[in-house]
Amino acid sequence: MKSIILSMVLLSPFASAVECKADNQYLQASYKVSEQTSQKLPKNEQSFTLWRTPRQVAQQSEQLVELWRQLSNQQIRPIRYFTQAKRGIEYQPSEVKGSQDFSSKYQLVSDQLLAKMQLQSEQGEGCDKKQRYYLKQADTVIEVVWLSNQQLVESMQVNTANYSRITSLQSVSFNKQTVLEQFANWDKYQTTDYADIGDNESDPFLAKMINLGFVEHGATGFYDTNGKALKSNHHHH
Amino acid sequence: MAANMKKLNLLSLAVVVALTGCSDDDKDYKTLVVNNTLPVGSEQCVNGGTEKLEGEDTNRNGELDADEVLRTTVTCNDPASSLTPQQLVNLSTNQWFKDAKVKMATSQDNIEKIVKESGKAKNIILFVGDGMGVSTVTAARILAGQLEGKMGEEHLLSFDTMPFSGFSKTYNVDAQTPDSAGTMTAMASGVKTDVGVIGVDEDIERGVCSTVAGNELVTATELAEINGLATGIVSTARITHATPAATYAKSADRNWEDVSDMPEDAVTGGCEDIASQLVNFEANLEARFAGIDVNGLEVVMGGGRRHFLPKDAAFNSADAMSAVEGDRTDERDLTAEWQEKYPTGQYVMDQAGFDNLDTESVSQVFGLFNESHMQYEADRANDIAGEPSLSQMTAKAIDVLDNNDKGFFLTVESGRIDHAHHAGNAYNALNDTIELSKAVQVAMDKTSIEDTLIIVTADHSHVFTIAGYPKRGNPILGKVVAVGKTEPSMAADGMPYTTVGYTNGLGYRDLGDETNADASYLEGPAVGRFDLTSVDTMSPGFHQEATVPLGSETHAGEDVGVYAIGPGAHLVTGTNEQSFLFHVMDYAGDLVKNADAKLTK
Repeated sequence: MKSIILSMVLLSPFASAVECKADNQYLQASYKVSEQTSQKLPKNEQSFTLWRTPRQVAQQSEQLVELWRQLSNQQIRPIRYFTQAKRGIEYQPSEVKGSQDFSSKYQLVSDQLLAKMQLQSEQGEGCDKKQRYYLKQADTVIEVVWLSNQQLVESMQVNTANYSRITSLQSVSFNKQTVLEQFANWDKYQTTDYADIGDNESDPFLAKMINLGFVEHGATGFYDTNGKALKSNHHHH
Repeated sequence: MAANMKKLNLLSLAVVVALTGCSDDDKDYKTLVVNNTLPVGSEQCVNGGTEKLEGEDTNRNGELDADEVLRTTVTCNDPASSLTPQQLVNLSTNQWFKDAKVKMATSQDNIEKIVKESGKAKNIILFVGDGMGVSTVTAARILAGQLEGKMGEEHLLSFDTMPFSGFSKTYNVDAQTPDSAGTMTAMASGVKTDVGVIGVDEDIERGVCSTVAGNELVTATELAEINGLATGIVSTARITHATPAATYAKSADRNWEDVSDMPEDAVTGGCEDIASQLVNFEANLEARFAGIDVNGLEVVMGGGRRHFLPKDAAFNSADAMSAVEGDRTDERDLTAEWQEKYPTGQYVMDQAGFDNLDTESVSQVFGLFNESHMQYEADRANDIAGEPSLSQMTAKAIDVLDNNDKGFFLTVESGRIDHAHHAGNAYNALNDTIELSKAVQVAMDKTSIEDTLIIVTADHSHVFTIAGYPKRGNPILGKVVAVGKTEPSMAADGMPYTTVGYTNGLGYRDLGDETNADASYLEGPAVGRFDLTSVDTMSPGFHQEATVPLGSETHAGEDVGVYAIGPGAHLVTGTNEQSFLFHVMDYAGDLVKNADAKLTK
């Protein structure tokens, strides 16, 4: 378990909101996700790292990286990297239908969801400005601690009668060089268009994709406008 | 008949009742004879006839009752040797019958108009619908008709109207179910080869650079170029993708689209990536055949900009999707190299540049409209910089190519039918097929049947099916509604099902659902049955159900259709190896003969 070190000393608590946002455009943030589906079962814990540049965001788990790039027409272009194989699958924005809310990727919580939530308290200034939000919707309670000027979730809890999920920030740094190098490193991976997978059954990596599908899931730290974790939505019969 | 005790009805059928017996007080009865006419289709005589009944009037009632018949003689008519207008009235007044008669006449006329001599095709256009199997053509035809407000089934795509058609056997030398590289090589060069290799014969070892030398094939495009014809390649896929590449490149692997895709030993071994081969087409051809002086491809339009640009963000185009658009690791900017080779040619990358092309004055066109594949036709409006449709590119290509008085050779690929099928999404596969049909119509309108051979075919099929018993006019992308019904039919599991579907692949997903849509692409195959009761299966984001779970729907191994019009089209008939199509084009344009004459001059 990583110790909780919020290395925000690099950011001035006296910075204006604009200055704060400008200073933290290149970000690396570690999160822990603790999930419990039943009181009788042990907690499921996993971690992921959030990487950001002004127009790109990536969520890195142990073997998988989900990267989203915001295009000039506001569409989102996803890439999936498989770190062990050093391979990637590139998607066309058109292959991802539905609402394309970059804020839900970039901030882990969408602007839409925050707007629906009730602001309960606010403290601090500049980069340290911290807001607590609350939303109760049917049997779901969502609580977010939001570092508003950094556009960063410090913690997010989703609770229902039989389910709880806590996503909490463990550490954050703003080393532009490190962040750019990380994105550049992934960019060196051999990538294949999602559309081309079907034509490459002789490639062992892609053959595995064809035969097994994309069964691996990342640490789903992303939420829809209702605070619901975006994950498997199978309804097999 | 004699055993039949019921009384015969002799009214209308009785032709003659003859009294041939004599009267006697007790035992002598009148002998009666009755002749009946048997109608056409009767049990005794299918062509009609007569039935002669003979017997004695034992009850003296003056009629031959059933139990009085002693002998029956049936005489059947010979089969009819001619039909009367009355007999044909049910046919001749029927619209299907009348339409077919008109079609017979026009077909006869169209066949007679086809020039059958060799070497008469001044222009040749080969259209390839990537993955456009027969079921795709049928479903696209129905959808196109329904989009025009018709029932759909009766509709005709542009190439459905061509006078000649046949089948191609698509298998590769080493694969029962083929891929585009091997199949397009067969069509472009007349030689079947292995799966995954471009412009080389089966002696190649896939992925081994050193096996290329000596196994290179000559393509129809190259022969046309040697003959001084204008040459062009258009695709909605990356222009370095397997199908377009097979017209101009020789590669041990279809994926060697740029230098960064190649293993180090292939680069050091002297193998040239596909994008580089496109830009060096003229030089490479001249180096290969001593003494020729060719002028290169006049038209190249498609996607795949990333393979032509260096891996440096400074070279990004206006609509780059990646942080660094170019993939090339050799620092070459092939678009600049092309412009240097063809200073009077125009490089275009968006709709505006395309629209501004002056087809009468421009010498060459190099259009790269997307970083990777161009958009599906239905998504084209979403492109950042805008890109032309396949029919627009076809029109512009012909307008440029026909500036050459000697004629032209053009290959047009609808590359994304295949991709939509791989994704299990019939909506885009069918809409792209309809756009291909429009492009073919453009070509038919801009050329003459007398001097232009147009062939339309597919490289391979997909496991796409049209199934169930939907009623006539039922939406082809909808759920099955049976004849006479208004509500969807239920399967044995109590749930409705769609007419079109896939044998394998990712299976059901409804990407129209806003709350979870942007996560759906991450999921593995979801095959089997889902409750589609409240799902709009006709929406663009609907992906049809599949049976076998695979991460990508696959090609299929059955034959594909070939459609042809123009000089030499009469050879497109029957079932042939796919490599046969090269020979049809060669016959029509005397490609080999004329090139040989040039080279041996």
